[in-house]
Amino acid sequence: MVGENNYNLLPDMLPIYYTRLFPQNILCRWLTCGSAPQPLSNRELSFTLADDIYLRYLTINNQKELQTLLQKKCPHKLDIGGVYNTKPSIGRHDAVVLSRELVFDIDLTDYDEIRTCCQEAKVCEKCWKFMVIACEIIDKALKEDFGFQNILWVFSGRRGIHCWVSDYDARTLDSPGRGAIADYLCLILGGEGQNKKVYLGSDNLHSSVRRSLNIIDKYFEELLQDQEFFSTADGLKKLLKIIPDEGLRSQVEKVLDKMNESSVQRWMSFINIYESYCRENTNAVRKIRYLIEEIKIQYCYPRLDVNVTKGFNHLLKSPFSIHPKTGKVSIVFKPKNAKSMKLDEIPTLYSLLDDSSPDNALHQTNMRTAVKNFQEVVFSLEKAEAMRRRNDPNMSVEF
Amino acid sequence: MDLNIKRKSTKTAVTGSLVETYPHDLQMYKIPPTENLSLKEFETLALERVVLLRSLATATTLKGLRLNSEEWTDYILGDLRTQGLKYYVKLCEKSACGTTDADLQARRKDHIAHFILRLAYCRTEELRRWFIARELELFKMRFATMRGDAIDTFFRLNNLCYTDITDEERNEIMHQLRECTSYANAENTKFYKVKFYEVLDLVKARKVFLKGGYAYIPHKDFISVLSAQYRTHLKQSLAKACHHLGEVEQDERLVALLKGLHQSYSGNDYSSVKAVIPIETLDTLSVKSYPLCMRQLHEHLRTAHHMKHGGRLQYGLFLKGIGVTLEDSLRFWREEFTKIMDLDKFEKQYAYNVRYNYGKEGSKRNYTPFSCLKIINNTVGPGDCHGCPFRHCEPNNLKNRLIGYGFDHQAVHDIIDITKKGHYQIACSKYFDASHNVDLGLGINHPNQYFEESQKLIKGDIKMDQKKEKVVIKKEINDLDGIDFDEPLD
Repeated sequence: MVGENNYNLLPDMLPIYYTRLFPQNILCRWLTCGSAPQPLSNRELSFTLADDIYLRYLTINNQKELQTLLQKKCPHKLDIGGVYNTKPSIGRHDAVVLSRELVFDIDLTDYDEIRTCCQEAKVCEKCWKFMVIACEIIDKALKEDFGFQNILWVFSGRRGIHCWVSDYDARTLDSPGRGAIADYLCLILGGEGQNKKVYLGSDNLHSSVRRSLNIIDKYFEELLQDQEFFSTADGLKKLLKIIPDEGLRSQVEKVLDKMNESSVQRWMSFINIYESYCRENTNAVRKIRYLIEEIKIQYCYPRLDVNVTKGFNHLLKSPFSIHPKTGKVSIVFKPKNAKSMKLDEIPTLYSLLDDSSPDNALHQTNMRTAVKNFQEVVFSLEKAEAMRRRNDPNMSVEF
Repeated sequence: MDLNIKRKSTKTAVTGSLVETYPHDLQMYKIPPTENLSLKEFETLALERVVLLRSLATATTLKGLRLNSEEWTDYILGDLRTQGLKYYVKLCEKSACGTTDADLQARRKDHIAHFILRLAYCRTEELRRWFIARELELFKMRFATMRGDAIDTFFRLNNLCYTDITDEERNEIMHQLRECTSYANAENTKFYKVKFYEVLDLVKARKVFLKGGYAYIPHKDFISVLSAQYRTHLKQSLAKACHHLGEVEQDERLVALLKGLHQSYSGNDYSSVKAVIPIETLDTLSVKSYPLCMRQLHEHLRTAHHMKHGGRLQYGLFLKGIGVTLEDSLRFWREEFTKIMDLDKFEKQYAYNVRYNYGKEGSKRNYTPFSCLKIINNTVGPGDCHGCPFRHCEPNNLKNRLIGYGFDHQAVHDIIDITKKGHYQIACSKYFDASHNVDLGLGINHPNQYFEESQKLIKGDIKMDQKKEKVVIKKEINDLDGIDFDEPLD
């Protein structure tokens, strides 16, 4: 139901969407709060118009201006940038970005080398599970390890998810700080020349890695069944290439090649072979101590686009912006509900505005829930921000 | 901090008691020196410190030694000894709080020289980064060699009071502490609690336990907190020094010296090009004159007709550096990309990128091609094919590729061997020798330097009989431009 033929409808439908359904008020409150102590007008917005015309360095002073701007330009896509020391729409000669939410971008295209159900822009319920795992792992790490509380999770519109951390400490973190967090969370490294992309060493596992593995374990078997990572000759070859120890590799190859094609069964016997191999070759163990864990991580752990996180003023698609190709709304969701999210239940511009669409009622409800989720995050952010101001000795003079 | 040229002013020298001014071998350089100094001494101290910092850089980049490893420290100390810088050896070998005259004099020289170099290295972002990176290495090395009682004194002198966590709190998270810190003896170690952004290097390497935004660091890792503070302090000080440069440079005797110091240390960054290379020759050149990292990118582009952002940046800037014009570059990328996408998509999504590399879009900066250091330290993710093949490829894949290129087995074996030891740039130099059938042993620090050397060789600029001499000279220059690109966070 979503396709090129609907693309032409965008210019007609978007103005209605922006006035009737787009949560302008909440978005402005979120941006205002996330820009403090700078005013909202120092925040960069960017529009993508029809035919991929980019407008950068747009600014607004209040909700009313946002409304006018949206009506006037009718952007197909809406992006949010950093907070500058001056109004970026006026002079940018010596404008510098002072703060910016800490953001994460996880995209299913980065899973292409492991997912077997879809490739590139395609996405289905099966590969969505990768996102569920990613969301849970990152969310836990941000909360438990870094102590962040105001975390917003957004569907990116097609094949991925975005995460915005609005805590004051996160917003004002400098580039090296962002880089360190990204590296802390990034376990899969290496490009095309590297088959084995995860190295956990041979010392103790870091507790955050251990926690992530516990999360992966909840889904691993399900994923094996869905994706059948090791059932094809190609898939099996990929697995073998990850095994660094030659003795183990040839044993595994011999057994797995002949047996039943089910990935779950192949995985089970792989573990058996691995365990007995470790018992027999005690001096080889050090190098492959965490091989099982490493493989699980390579196949399930979130693949972050670290450049987005490291960059201080990287533009990122706004919540509730429409994806111009799919027509889907970038809805805000709660991490604990990611699992039950269905891709075709994510509201699209077309079904929301068309009463006769069979999905209309459901999509309307889901849209309302998404706005409510957004509200909750914004309210708690506003509360945290008020607390911070009260406790900040530099601010108390003004209030 | 005030960087007016007090040491040249007529104020009375406050030599007072050197013991009071310099109680400890290691200092954080918080207060600038205020005594009178002869021009001769000014110059000597500056040059000697440059030698010291250069020695650090050589150890890491050219020798390929692991930072802060024993060999690394040994190399530096040995180098300082041969250069006759005994007082730096003294300061670096065993930092303590002795009070002999030799101790005090060494500290005084260290102090003054550091502040002189701030003036020389505050001019550009690049220089500042290099300076900070080296000074931090020095600081860490000196902290590492310090004895226990000296550490305590150092903390006291610099007002560093951090309280360790309570036993109760510690017992609660004992298990995690043991998991996350690499020291076996977590029970008997003092742990401190600091905000995570004070120990970014530990966070980055996942070497510390984090909880609720706090990092729990063992006594031994405390250097991370210190060096992070020291880094911030240096950064701000250099910015301030830059601000006051005008006042210092009213004295023209200093101008020449300070500028000279810096000029002798900014090598070629390959941002200006003389020759023009037509894109039709790229296929041949990629075989003959490209370093492996670029050859790999070129071949990837030719077969996949696509390349991710990191690769486009690395290869695109390299092309610019060897002399491919913007128009040619656009044509080159367009021809490949449009094999899998329509022209419209290319123009909208990728042409911007190409023009950006040439400084025609966005912030309009004329970007310089990446140096080896930058490429080696780059993050390479799934689906990426950029980076340094010696660093980012598995030895087996690398081996197959080299054999596929038709290198003989001995050469391949040599290259792989060195790669496995982690000497990526030396491996690249071996690759150069193997592909040109020579034995030059160049120090490769920049893909564009590789290209130029290769072109020179092919065109016969370097005569075989006098090659040795040339290489030596070149090596010295290259060693400098490589280190200029050093990343601030190691």
